[in-house]
Amino acid sequence: MSQPPNPSTRAPVAASARRVTYQARVERIFDHAEDTRSLFLRMVDRPMPAFVPGMFISVAIPLAAETRTRPYTIATAPEEGEPFELCFNLVTGGAGSAWMFARRIGDAIDFNGPFGAFTLDSKPQAETIFIAEGTGIAAIRPMLKRLMTAPLAHPITLLYAADRADHLLYRQELQQMAAAEARFSLQTLAAGPDTHDVYEQLLALTRRRWIAADQARGRHFYICGVGNGVIALRDLLRGSGYERRAVRYEQW
Amino acid sequence: MAKIRVIFENGDPERVVEFDPLAAPFHHDGKPGSILDVLLGHDIHLEHACGGNCACTTCHVIVRQGLEVLSEASEQEEDLLDRAPGLTPFSRLACQAVIEDPGAEIVVTVPRFTINQVSESR
Repeated sequence: MSQPPNPSTRAPVAASARRVTYQARVERIFDHAEDTRSLFLRMVDRPMPAFVPGMFISVAIPLAAETRTRPYTIATAPEEGEPFELCFNLVTGGAGSAWMFARRIGDAIDFNGPFGAFTLDSKPQAETIFIAEGTGIAAIRPMLKRLMTAPLAHPITLLYAADRADHLLYRQELQQMAAAEARFSLQTLAAGPDTHDVYEQLLALTRRRWIAADQARGRHFYICGVGNGVIALRDLLRGSGYERRAVRYEQW
Repeated sequence: MAKIRVIFENGDPERVVEFDPLAAPFHHDGKPGSILDVLLGHDIHLEHACGGNCACTTCHVIVRQGLEVLSEASEQEEDLLDRAPGLTPFSRLACQAVIEDPGAEIVVTVPRFTINQVSESR
């Protein structure tokens, strides 16, 4: 019987090698809103492969005629162990999210990975601003959880926005983090029926707080969300003097 | 008809696909008409862990011929390629590189190594 690979020796992996396929079972389901869900998964047979906060797993979605690969971000930090959490929303017309939403407790999910380039690889060496939109918090939450395990050397801000209030996920947990750590500040905003697009608000806030307020350009940014607003934020920051590599982002 | 020749560094047999770029999409992952779209639509497996959404580098290919006829790389693609092992001046993400020229003749190598599970001690 073959042994699982040693996580510490797996990167990079030869493309010729068959990827290790893992299986996990749904242990718990939590609905954040009617269209936003978390699945809590426990591994079958093998231990959870090593990962870095911000990574995703590639889930094999078995459809009628084929199997599709769809990425789902791990919303828990590596040190939390199992069950690990996937947080996602129901995408209109999206076969992958419909299949994920149809999973029930005890169902098996096949995946490989984890993968991803939007990761927190080390402790920030400067003031760091995390900007999340909607379920984009799934990638940033494990980064914050890891950072909160030790006193912060530099200020951390989370600017978290959603199209409506009940799409602001993990709010209580994030507020507790802010209450417990003086150098971590949280700002949330929800677009309402009378307000503009949520990204317009994020762009305006970003411009005011981290561009117009001073000439400092040593901050680091991590941005994650859905849609072109992520790219607009990237362009705004890079265009105003922040180093290219200081502005990390993931657009879904 | 456009043509893509695919060379696998891992020793898998070379493949050649002839296709009409105007008939894109051929599959549902990656940009329509991209190298990934064309290959998947012709039953040639290429890694695409993020579903062809320009969020990883598992579909990294090295373009040996025809780089100039591919769509221009976006800043997002360049940012991701920065993190790909084995990066070359001819590297592209197959999910983003679109073939628009009906007479294009492209040769790509699929590297032996791809960025994968960034490791850390548990």
